[in-house]
Amino acid sequence: MTENDDRGFKRDLLASLPNLRAFAVSLTGRHDKADDLVQDTIMKAWANQTSFTAGTNMRAWLFTILRNEFYSQMRKRGREVQDTDGLFSERFSVHPEQYGRLDLQDFRKALDKLPDDQREAIILVGAAGFAYEEAATICGCAVGTIKSRVSRARTRLQELLGVSGEGDFGPDAGHAAITARAFGS
Amino acid sequence: MSDDNRKKQDMTISHQDIRPGSMPPNASISRKLREFYDAVQEEGIPDRFLDLLEKLEDAERNAKSVKVK
Repeated sequence: MTENDDRGFKRDLLASLPNLRAFAVSLTGRHDKADDLVQDTIMKAWANQTSFTAGTNMRAWLFTILRNEFYSQMRKRGREVQDTDGLFSERFSVHPEQYGRLDLQDFRKALDKLPDDQREAIILVGAAGFAYEEAATICGCAVGTIKSRVSRARTRLQELLGVSGEGDFGPDAGHAAITARAFGS
Repeated sequence: MSDDNRKKQDMTISHQDIRPGSMPPNASISRKLREFYDAVQEEGIPDRFLDLLEKLEDAERNAKSVKVK
């Protein structure tokens, strides 16, 4: 491998990092654990860069490494009890104008209630920007499986967010009143 | 059911046209999902990863120059 290839590898890795890190936060529910996971992933990826085929999808390759690393660590340690509420409210209160919206925290809580396989499926397809086929490759399952997981995740999130009451969300009180009337409550 | 009809109509509106609070449940979930995800992405790359990559690069360079000698 020439030095130019090395630089290209690093450049592509850097370009994928924000997205990879957001995926790690989604999986772990915590920024500190997510960053440890990203660090392990970078080291693995670096050590195995000869096994990466240049010109293929590096983002998908990195996501696969991170996902495998996450599940193998989880199997080793067992999943710890998470204080997601506290961590995220603390995290998001730093920039209230940007992240402090109550609905985002509620959404995070709902996301955490999903089974792992459904959560990763809806994140990969709905947020990280992967096609169903790519998500299936990353998760090592059939495309149909990913589709049904995404669909179940959506339904479950709807249920979870539906019961928490739209009236709690946002400043749009006028709309809440209209909704309340429309639903005859 | 007028509510159902309204929801069906809303489903056909593109994402850009959807105002907060007026969207069907699925669009609302997609929007929140991206909002949550983008908030993390926009934090950028923490310094520890830039440092790490630099160290990995240095280590590799050193290993190569040892081999050459």
